[in-house]
Amino acid sequence: MLIATEELADGITRVELDGRLDIAGAALVDLKMNLIAGSSTKLLIDLQKVTFLGSMGLRTIVVPGRSVKSRGGKVVIFAPTEMVESVLKTSGIDSVFPIHHDLATAIAALQ
Amino acid sequence: MPGENTVAPEPLLTIQSRLEELALVWPWVEAQAEQYEISADSQFAIQLCLEEALSNIIRHGYGEQTRCAISIHCAQSGSHSLIFTVEDQAPPFDPLAYMVDDDAPAPASIEQLEVGGQGIRLLRKFAGKLDYQRIPNGNRLIICFPIRK
Repeated sequence: MLIATEELADGITRVELDGRLDIAGAALVDLKMNLIAGSSTKLLIDLQKVTFLGSMGLRTIVVPGRSVKSRGGKVVIFAPTEMVESVLKTSGIDSVFPIHHDLATAIAALQ
Repeated sequence: MPGENTVAPEPLLTIQSRLEELALVWPWVEAQAEQYEISADSQFAIQLCLEEALSNIIRHGYGEQTRCAISIHCAQSGSHSLIFTVEDQAPPFDPLAYMVDDDAPAPASIEQLEVGGQGIRLLRKFAGKLDYQRIPNGNRLIICFPIRK
């Protein structure tokens, strides 16, 4: 499981996850996700390279996302695969962190 | 039908009750998927359901006990289904008895979004069919998936 960040314009932090977000993968990135969330108010979580998502992986998204929103920030999820998106929608996360497949639309939603 | 010219993977996998042992499950599922020519989406669903079922047994069924056995057996049923049977010797726990309201409205706020408790919801959503049996000194969970080619 890999994690990388990129600072975009207007204070947006793009965090790109790459690999399997299963129990082992979640354990590898949880701390870094929380650190990133602690210093961001506009967070774009890029899931296009995530090949698997389980319930522990959902925590990896929800906990830092909740941290950002509790400080008045915004969070969007970008480009999950069809099956990963199905997991997100089953959990109801998409109603709190909107899912976008177009980068420009995702960025606009964070403004 | 299993693919030709392939060495059939072992139908039975036994792991110990530690989360690290889940790393043994994924290559085993991949071997079953290759054997039965399962689609990538079905393989995703199988891995998701097994992760949720097994992690539930390890964390809640066995608790702090880390040397207990969990067996997972894979078998084809007819030409359209693959059945995974998970057996443990933990105290009685029927995941199907836990009511999950699939028609509940979406959380309106971040406060309403559940962090935990998603495992059983995912298991029920992604399994083709689920069955639970209490067996002597343990539990048996049967998870059935349609094989799509």
